[in-house]
Amino acid sequence: MSVAIEASGLVKDFEKGRRTIWERLRREPDQRETFRAVDGVDLHVGEGEVFGILGPNGAGKTTTMRMLATLLEPTSGKATVIGHDLVTESREIRRRLGAVLSGERSLYWKLTARENLEYFAALYHVPARETRSRIIELLEVVHLTDRADDYVEKFSTGMRQRLVLARALLPDPTLLLLDEPTVGLDPQAARDLRERVLKLRDDGRTVLLTTHYMEEADQLCDRIAIVDHGRIVALDTPEGLKRNLRATDVVRLEIQATEQAEPSLLRRIGADGSITRTDREAGSLRLTVHCSSARTLVPLAIDAARAESAEVRHIEVLPVSLEDVFISLTGRALRE
Amino acid sequence: MNIIDLRADLRAFGAATRKEWRIMRRYPGTLLSFIFWPIALPLAFVFQAEAFAGGRSDTMGAFATRTGTEQVAGFLFVGWATYMWLSLILWGPGTALRTEQIRGSLEAIFLTPASRLVVLFGPAVSQLIWAVWIFVVVGLALWIGFGITVGPAEALRALSVILVGVPALYAIGALFASVVLRFGEVHSLVQGVRGLFTALCGMSFPIVVLPDWAQTVALTLPPTYLIADLRAVLLAGAGLGRIAGDLLVLAAMGVVLALLAAWAFAVTERHARRGGRLAQY
Repeated sequence: MSVAIEASGLVKDFEKGRRTIWERLRREPDQRETFRAVDGVDLHVGEGEVFGILGPNGAGKTTTMRMLATLLEPTSGKATVIGHDLVTESREIRRRLGAVLSGERSLYWKLTARENLEYFAALYHVPARETRSRIIELLEVVHLTDRADDYVEKFSTGMRQRLVLARALLPDPTLLLLDEPTVGLDPQAARDLRERVLKLRDDGRTVLLTTHYMEEADQLCDRIAIVDHGRIVALDTPEGLKRNLRATDVVRLEIQATEQAEPSLLRRIGADGSITRTDREAGSLRLTVHCSSARTLVPLAIDAARAESAEVRHIEVLPVSLEDVFISLTGRALRE
Repeated sequence: MNIIDLRADLRAFGAATRKEWRIMRRYPGTLLSFIFWPIALPLAFVFQAEAFAGGRSDTMGAFATRTGTEQVAGFLFVGWATYMWLSLILWGPGTALRTEQIRGSLEAIFLTPASRLVVLFGPAVSQLIWAVWIFVVVGLALWIGFGITVGPAEALRALSVILVGVPALYAIGALFASVVLRFGEVHSLVQGVRGLFTALCGMSFPIVVLPDWAQTVALTLPPTYLIADLRAVLLAGAGLGRIAGDLLVLAAMGVVLALLAAWAFAVTERHARRGGRLAQY
């Protein structure tokens, strides 16, 4: 498989706070703290792959994306995107790169959908003789043909996001960067966009997307990098990541039990699985347990509760999800 | 840059101008302000001059000696029309960049392979339409209100002066754009420079009335030449040969300022890419 993105040791530091002009003129020492947003990311994304970067807010997903989109210069590290050096050949990269980064705000609301695309087609150097037909085709692709001549200010959020996607497809990109593409969309619009991403892959395009929606990553991505604090903490296929958890089921239990009974309960249940979450609320103990078989763990939990004069109020058995993988890797939930 | 890129960028430039013009057209109230101000502002100064001079022939003579024309209204209207056009240009590139930044579209533009000059000057060029409009309104006001007519030969010579002055003025505008990219805000600086131009470049008076040191400073500023030469060709019947020296200075200033602006913009763009300022507003 040819390589769409090859990055090694990408680092991005930002300075916190500001240095005033007065301080600069007086040549005072720079006392700003440095914040490392991306900390040595290595990526190898093959052509035709849908690659996801999954992580909570502030994990470094968007910064990584902006560096690969040539909008941010890395502090250190090297990367080639579509065969071109990220720093020295950025214009070459931008010729074949489509990106949805800043969402609906990046459109001209006082222009129609068609006028927005006409403008960006010229900026993307789409040949004049192809512009008209490509815009008609893309409006069709994102289901906006009947609204092509309406001002964008009259569009819903979902329609604007679709138009942004159409704009990103104007240069007929081999690589598409999508930063949280479904944030703010209603469920139907989000589903449409996800289907669109899968069609783009079927067309042979490479898609790099960031998301903090587990289901989205699971459904769309061939491979996923889980990032936390600017580092990749795991990288595999969705199934591979789940397999590495060494659990097949996730059991959620709610047990009415005293605080005195809690240590014994945890010890007994923990003998057959890995307890990843413990909460106590209104006299109830809530547990999330990763285990190899719920068929074994559930009777054991009921027996343990009975032995401690406690009562199992609720049992929920779920297959392992990427959320569980994330919790096991980082010790916290994705939306915390 | 190869010839194909250049052609593509020229098309992008045209598209940027067209886009900005389309947006401006959708706010028709702007048109009214560009009818009112080019007349009201200089008219106030004409009345002021009338009040100070009191219609005496010796004061008019002094004015003619210092300016080369007896047409007080023409002198003031041309000065202020140039000032309004100048303001548009000074704000133009910086404001275009800042507007894109606030709108959130700057990153989307910087994601394209188009030259940065497109975003800087494409929208600003659309302001030339307003400049033409201002000069048309002023021409009509002078004709209807004061019986001063501008013939096609004078208009053509004035256009030549404007074309020679454009690079220097747009370069100053581009320097402001660099400030936008570096600091995110430019209004107070533009106001300051505009004030400097108003005080020194002879918008409403001939610069010979300034102290010697101020005249020296004025002669380093491109608008001084532009205003003086426009008045010379429109009101004093000067040919281009008579102002050739001025035009040469203006053109040289344009080259120096354009190089300076290109360097400053490249430096600040790199800085913005390092610090992630493109999306900040």
